[in-house]
Amino acid sequence: MHDYDFGLSEEHRLLRQNIREFAEKEIAPYAQDLDENETFSLDIVKKMAAMGLFGIVVSEEYGGPHMDYLAYCIAVEEISRVDGSHGATVAAANSLGIGPIYYFGNEKQKKEWLPRLCKGEILASFGLTEPEAGSDAGASKTNGKLDKGQWVINGSKIFITNSTSEMAGVCTVQCVTGTKPDGKKEVSCILVPNGTKGFTAKKMHKKMMWRASDTGELYFDDCRVPEENLLGKRGEGFHQMLSTLDNGRLAIAAMGLGGAQGAYELALKYSKERRQFGQPISTFQVNSFKLADMATEIEAARNLLYKACMMKDAGIPFGKQAAMAKLYCSEVMGRVVDEAVQLHGGYGLMKEYNIERFYRDYKLLTIGEGTSEIQRIVISRQIGCYS
Amino acid sequence: MLSIIVCIKQVPDTNRASFDPRTGAINRASAENIANPDDLHAVELALKLRDACGGRVTAISMGPPRAADTLAEAYALGVDDCVLVSDPAFAGSDSLVTGKILARAIGKLGRFDVVVTGFEAIDGNTAHVSYQLSEFLGLPHITQIHDLMIEDGHAVIERLYGHEYQKIRVELPVLLAATRNTNRVRAPRLADLKSCTGKDFTVMTMADVGGSADEYGTAGSPTVVIGTEVFAHSRGREEIRGTTDEKVEGLMQRLKKHNILRY
Repeated sequence: MHDYDFGLSEEHRLLRQNIREFAEKEIAPYAQDLDENETFSLDIVKKMAAMGLFGIVVSEEYGGPHMDYLAYCIAVEEISRVDGSHGATVAAANSLGIGPIYYFGNEKQKKEWLPRLCKGEILASFGLTEPEAGSDAGASKTNGKLDKGQWVINGSKIFITNSTSEMAGVCTVQCVTGTKPDGKKEVSCILVPNGTKGFTAKKMHKKMMWRASDTGELYFDDCRVPEENLLGKRGEGFHQMLSTLDNGRLAIAAMGLGGAQGAYELALKYSKERRQFGQPISTFQVNSFKLADMATEIEAARNLLYKACMMKDAGIPFGKQAAMAKLYCSEVMGRVVDEAVQLHGGYGLMKEYNIERFYRDYKLLTIGEGTSEIQRIVISRQIGCYS
Repeated sequence: MLSIIVCIKQVPDTNRASFDPRTGAINRASAENIANPDDLHAVELALKLRDACGGRVTAISMGPPRAADTLAEAYALGVDDCVLVSDPAFAGSDSLVTGKILARAIGKLGRFDVVVTGFEAIDGNTAHVSYQLSEFLGLPHITQIHDLMIEDGHAVIERLYGHEYQKIRVELPVLLAATRNTNRVRAPRLADLKSCTGKDFTVMTMADVGGSADEYGTAGSPTVVIGTEVFAHSRGREEIRGTTDEKVEGLMQRLKKHNILRY
């Protein structure tokens, strides 16, 4: 038993062991090449689907294994331990793709989409960010107007994961659907299947990180979908988005934790093998202290994330802990990859060594699904700074 | 409908474990207990055979009560039944006695057509047990399996033997030993990982297997460990000099000498 499985159930331990084996066998050997060539591997995604990695928390009646959030985060952690891109594909598919449909969809929508999503026949995406609406999600302009029983959508979205590959099946698009009595924007989420006339998904290239994941720009040009494609109730889009991001933060934290663990293991291994001045560099105190700090911070990050997951699984409000875990795990990964490259010296700068990929992949984590600054706003509000 | 038995063993993960540099003994606390890798290939072979021909796969493991974790993994991969052979009297059994215990336990399970084992375990690396088990059960023992079919009560097996393929036909029942070259082990589905820990399995003790305590465990085992040594493998470097033709000739001679090239 790994010491970090302390207190976890046999089910979680087995899950970690099997996903680790899968990740090391089916993802790790290809990760560097896929990253270099910006390739989204349908082959690996199908293998992840066959294992049941899409829809991990979804109940059996819709085709999922109905595991808890802790299990989901352990899965993301273990995949991110070998590769951020595939961690991102799984995290986005579950939290952002499947999450909104599972939590807010009506019975018909759930029956229509979830079984195919859980089988991995298709992937769903979450259209939130716009070119001029990032942290300020309220500034989004994409709009939906009802016309003859159909939503007519116009606008664009950017940086949308899992939205353009041949597996991309449906996007939950956040739209301004009117004005509320108090003058604020009425925001709603609308399901738009890929391939709908007027919906164009364009793959984005030249990313610094997650280069083997699928990131798209979406354009809606008088795109028409049936009125019944509204997710939940009209005007609930903002609430749905916040709730989806609360859940998503746990998975991003898991990516930071897994990435930190992977980078730390690479650094420890290299430091024990690399000899300078006649001894392994891990035996120089300046380096051993770096490794000790990494191990300590990772331990603390893991405990924080697992606690946040356990709170969610117990039905306790977990928004503060989710923001803390996302903030802390991603920043811990930043410190770990920085020192891990430093320990690799010149070799750490070369693509031949996996550590440079971790160094690049880390940077999304303090930006995506709420920047570190936004997390600090969430936390500071929750602890009462402004009240 | 085939009745297939697959033997699996729980072992410390010696690939990740640390060892006492002085005694060579494994530091048990440093190693996670896992299913022996070759045995997972045996499970995969058994499941493929069942899926192709129909039948049931029963996984059997001899070990302490915690070996039930490894049987749970076998359930997750898709076996139909699990049997844990466990008794304090069995502790300390060497490979010969292990073969005897497994043979007796399998004998009590009823008719079977195929027994599959891993070729060797990563903790002892003796590769004895499958041979000894086949002797106790009176079965033909087939290794280096590349492909397998069942027809008319026979197993038709393609073997990768050295650098040649052999195709053999052998009457059932038969014992097959699998290695990592035999197949690629499937990844269990998350849904099966979730349900596998709650499944029931049969426990067989010495009372079920038969025999007496003096036949088993340390008392019944003829093997005596007189010492362990740590081997260090070093690679030698050799340079082949000369013209290109001479270098090629030199390389060919060496490849032939080591039986890598034979013609």
